[in-house]
Amino acid sequence: MSPQLLKDMPVVELVDQFTEITLRQYDAALFGNITKYNSLVDQMLAVADELKSRPGDQRSALVPLLVHPNRQVRLMAAEFTLTLAPVASRQTLQELSDAKVYPQSAYAMGTLRALERGDRKPS
Amino acid sequence: MARRGDALRIRDAPAPARAEVRLQPRPAARPRGNPDGGQWTETDANGNPVAQRRVRLAGDVPTNDPPEVPKERPKTSSERVGWLKATARTAAEQGIAAVEVAKLYPWMAYYAAGMQSYSDPPRSLDELRSATPGPGYDIHHIVEQGQAEDEGYPREAIDSPDNLVVIPRMKHWEINQWYQTRSPEFGWQTPRDYLEGRNWAVKRSVGLEALKIVGVLKP
Repeated sequence: MSPQLLKDMPVVELVDQFTEITLRQYDAALFGNITKYNSLVDQMLAVADELKSRPGDQRSALVPLLVHPNRQVRLMAAEFTLTLAPVASRQTLQELSDAKVYPQSAYAMGTLRALERGDRKPS
Repeated sequence: MARRGDALRIRDAPAPARAEVRLQPRPAARPRGNPDGGQWTETDANGNPVAQRRVRLAGDVPTNDPPEVPKERPKTSSERVGWLKATARTAAEQGIAAVEVAKLYPWMAYYAAGMQSYSDPPRSLDELRSATPGPGYDIHHIVEQGQAEDEGYPREAIDSPDNLVVIPRMKHWEINQWYQTRSPEFGWQTPRDYLEGRNWAVKRSVGLEALKIVGVLKP
């Protein structure tokens, strides 16, 4: 998706895009399609960057995804809302970590541990 | 390729697992405080609810039916690994021995030992280092051997007892996958790319972290 298309999208559609991309990440991770997963990261970052660039940092529109039924969507929503909804996003990460379902549990635990060590500075 | 959500069905499993089992029967999979778990709320830029949608369980068609473990051996390695891990996890949650699962799905028999070891609890580093490798277990290099060798580290260091642990085979697969997957913890690089050219201590620190986050090494 081109940067211009993203710029023309209303926030609600960007959130839809984010959800679709992270659902595809879930499928890619489930069956070990690492190349696909990694390419989807670029698409997700583009959407997140576009949301962040909107007035008031519209990544806040990702907060409702912290309770999405799919754990990959919840994971990535938490990653991008650490500064905007620190309590809720950390709670989501903790729940994902406690569930011990790879890979989401591993990434959630990795982020929580990095935050505790101070290695990770959410922005 | 089948697409799956959070659920999995083991058909005709022996009692007490004859009933449908789910991979992740966690209440948090539903919107908190919402009695209708089939919907979630979306908000606009101001945080106001704008729509109610049907739940999507990562399938092309929204469904609440858990997918069924395939009777036939999946054609690709990645599909087999995906089903093996999901089935091992479900079996462990339901207290079903891997050998019983393998009776239901003969293509899994070859992997039964690996499925059983997948549910091992985390162990201490000393326990992992002193364990004897057997069926369902692999010897794992804490500092990845391929990259270390490429960067000129001697085999004596790479294969030293201090760098070797015995871990469940399917956890080993997960660690290999983790090393190749882009992650926020590493600035959206893969751990392997992040570690390129870094010293042994950093590589080892990340290697130990990998063991912890996949649940092999006690935190």
